Amino acid sequence: MDAIGRLFEEAPRFYTYWNLIFLGEAALNTLMVSFFGCLIGYLIGFIIATLRVALINPVGPLRWFLITYTEMVRRIPFLVLLLCVFFAFQLSGAEVTLFIIATTAVALRMSALAAENIRAGYDAINPRQWEAAISMNMTPISTLFRVILPQAWKIILPPSTIHTVSMIKETSLISQIGFLELTFAARMLNQRGFSALICYGTVLVLYFIISWSFARAGKAAEKKLVHAPRSPNAQNIETPRVVPQ
Amino acid sequence: MLMQLQYGQIVQYIPDFFAGALVALELSVLAFLIGVILGLVGAATITYGNMPARIAVRCYVSFFTNTPQLVQIFFLFFALPEFGILLSPYQAVLLGMTLNAAGYLTEIQRAGFQSIQRAEVEAAETLGFSRVQTVWYVIAPHIIRALYPALSNHYILMTLGTSMAAIFGVEELTGRALNANAISFRSFEIFSVTALIYIGLTIVASVILYALGRYFFRVKVKVF
Repeated sequence: MDAIGRLFEEAPRFYTYWNLIFLGEAALNTLMVSFFGCLIGYLIGFIIATLRVALINPVGPLRWFLITYTEMVRRIPFLVLLLCVFFAFQLSGAEVTLFIIATTAVALRMSALAAENIRAGYDAINPRQWEAAISMNMTPISTLFRVILPQAWKIILPPSTIHTVSMIKETSLISQIGFLELTFAARMLNQRGFSALICYGTVLVLYFIISWSFARAGKAAEKKLVHAPRSPNAQNIETPRVVPQ
Repeated sequence: MLMQLQYGQIVQYIPDFFAGALVALELSVLAFLIGVILGLVGAATITYGNMPARIAVRCYVSFFTNTPQLVQIFFLFFALPEFGILLSPYQAVLLGMTLNAAGYLTEIQRAGFQSIQRAEVEAAETLGFSRVQTVWYVIAPHIIRALYPALSNHYILMTLGTSMAAIFGVEELTGRALNANAISFRSFEIFSVTALIYIGLTIVASVILYALGRYFFRVKVKVF
């Protein structure tokens, strides 16, 4: 219990203006990397899943390439993927910031996870809906955006929230390439002489706030949108109920 | 300047990598098995326990599932010595992975406990089954069949999670890759080979889990 006592002694020295600014900047970096990485990842994942499902067969080699890509990237630990990206940039001789390297790694991993999610959403839709829409003379693109996606994204949303939250947590590994994010900030503060208990404890609480509030927001969105009626007009075309006299 | 890829120098490290893969396997299996037992206790507490115990388990679960595993291990590794508990890197990583897995596996197994219906237990009682027989013949097969896909999926995730042991100096697959990198400087080649070994490792694990599920529990798990 001695350590707890020292914790209270050290707290005023730790929670100073500059340390809080430092932690805030690190938290902002974590959020920025997660946001841009996930955004790009979801876009690539959407394209991959749509190509895999919509172009049912005609492009054999492309389809096999996409399947191999998603399966391989999902089976590589994020740390190894990050190091691969880091050294690939180094090998190519391109001079980029650590932020771009980190975002690329997050985007790669997220694209594989998102592709798998979105494909599962497409698979849940009856394939006859494509046929029906095509037979009503809709183009494939308008079928996708007007018929398939409005139904599929309700299935896609819940697992996407879980994967995004786990991706935010996995960004802690980016500290290994020396990018200033929350875990790296904790390590630096620890090396500056603050006890590990207060450094890592604070960062754990910050991570908890970020990921818990994100998961909560996802759940709220799910409740509001997934279980909502399909369209505002859907309430009006309910079958009239015959009340027995 | 564009450098050349040279995989020839990497070949000598590959036996070393496979030895590292064994350590990774050992870590993931140990953490998973202990985690399943802890998770079972947690899930039973949430379902049948009293109020304070339930709240404690829920707090544990939401803390461990909402914070990164890496920071948890850092916390254990650096903060426990302040309380006078010294852990070796291997022990710290194993403890961190187990505690983290226990959180997730509690959440997974809770779903299994909630899927049991009172009528099943009553039916078993009517047939004259003892308590143990009811659990062994009626409840356990039911729960296992419902949970097997989620559990095997989490095991694969834990296999990938072992890579962060390298950060603490444990000589598993990624750790050996970092060592080889420090000697040879063929960084990209080494880490791409490591990635391929991880892909092989998880594919083998998925196939084995699929076969076990088919043979023992008649469950079909998605392999690819």
